[in-house]
Amino acid sequence: MDIYAQNILDRYKKPFYKDKKLDASIRHKEANHSCGDVVEVDLQMQGDKVTAYSFSGNGCAISMASADMLGDLATGLTKKEILKLTKEEIYKMLGIEISVRRSKCALLSLLALQNALIDESRH
Amino acid sequence: MDFKKDFPIFQHRPQLIYLDNAATSQKPLVVLDAEKDYYERLNSNIHRSAHFLAEEATIAYEETRQTVADFIGTEKKHEIVFTRNATEGINLVARSYGDACLQESDEVLLSKMEHHSNIVPWLQLKERKGVNVRYLDIDENGQFVFDSSQITSKTKFVSLTGMSNILGSIPDLKPIIAAAHAKGAKILIDACQLAVHSPINVQELDADFLVFSAHKMYGPTGVGVLYGKEELLKKMPPFLGGGEMIQEVFEDRFTPNDIPQKFEAGTPNISGVVTFKAAIDYIGKIGFDKIRSIEQELTEYTLNKLSALPYLKLIGPKTTDNRSSVISFAMEGIHPHDIAEGLSQKNICIRAGHHCGQILMDTWGLPATARISLAFYNTKDDIEQAVHALEEVYKYFH
Repeated sequence: MDIYAQNILDRYKKPFYKDKKLDASIRHKEANHSCGDVVEVDLQMQGDKVTAYSFSGNGCAISMASADMLGDLATGLTKKEILKLTKEEIYKMLGIEISVRRSKCALLSLLALQNALIDESRH
Repeated sequence: MDFKKDFPIFQHRPQLIYLDNAATSQKPLVVLDAEKDYYERLNSNIHRSAHFLAEEATIAYEETRQTVADFIGTEKKHEIVFTRNATEGINLVARSYGDACLQESDEVLLSKMEHHSNIVPWLQLKERKGVNVRYLDIDENGQFVFDSSQITSKTKFVSLTGMSNILGSIPDLKPIIAAAHAKGAKILIDACQLAVHSPINVQELDADFLVFSAHKMYGPTGVGVLYGKEELLKKMPPFLGGGEMIQEVFEDRFTPNDIPQKFEAGTPNISGVVTFKAAIDYIGKIGFDKIRSIEQELTEYTLNKLSALPYLKLIGPKTTDNRSSVISFAMEGIHPHDIAEGLSQKNICIRAGHHCGQILMDTWGLPATARISLAFYNTKDDIEQAVHALEEVYKYFH
């Protein structure tokens, strides 16, 4: 059986950014209630730039691998750049075909990340 | 006996292993033919035009009402209201009976294993009228934790499932119905899962209302049934307004039609209702004795196979007592979506998620479960292939 590509399985089993317990300045949680997936994104910022990323939560392999790979993508980007990220860029980052039924899994962490920054700008 | 041959989808997709029957069942050829036949020979609007075709269509539509009445054991066919689905039936009762007959601080009693469709309409009633909504607890076998003291003089309405869509359990409703009636409360039974697995007799049950959906019982989507006792339906105000549900319309008022038309505003799903008769007749031809015995055997087989996997945890009753063929489970360290994805790659359809039962999931601390739900057309080979795929999924992630 080969359910997902190796990169997805690797990042799911051995995440790099999971539960880093950052002294985060920004924190935001999103849930995909119908699947039971939860992702909380923690960020450290310097000015407008993300300098450290961590996440916690649980969910399927795609949602967790996506949340982990998003750490590579988001670190070093400015708020403006992050808010411009599209679902196509997330699919490219994952490097696998994402079916309609799994798109919510793939995009949950991006939603958490972008909403973290939108929340923050409201304060 | 190979019942799959009655269902064309298994000829078009010979590899398909369909274990998601609690979501919707597949449709036998007799049902598909009935729909085609309706449109080819009978198509006309019902209860309206004076021509022969409208009369024939009306007769066919009303024949299904009689068939449904017989199917659930009422002698009064006007106690059968056609809706879009079971959800609409519950909404109709909450809106019509709830708004007219319940007052602020009255209590509506539900259970923690209700489908969202039997929770949200009552929470909406709470928003409109200020009723209190309370929930019966569920034990590990999926039975209600109940004693008659839980129904008080404040309890005016009880709405409970006849079979859990998550646990597969069939709770004992009789003592609750008796206790509700002793205090003057009315009771609705959500028979959406039960109706395809077990015979129902509303008179024996003494249910005030009962709902189910055609599509879960080999019939078409878009047709539901609301049964209501005549005296209750008569005193309830209409739900939706429009054609068919009125007798007379004036500039400033209207008079509603008699039951059941009072609750069937607008052109209904005529082809669906006519077709539903073919589905009930199909069930009747095989018979519930046979259906139940096949499904019990398949359920026992599945429970035994799943219990043998040390990393798999069954959620709900572990035996075939007081249950039917819906089986939820979790696997160590693997999210149910990943289980379903793995099985999907082997052409095996199961459900993963909260199954519209978030209150039970939260109560039992489960983010989600995987669910196998069997119909009588499934086979032991289907189950063996599913179990083999589950073993492969486990190996893949460990």
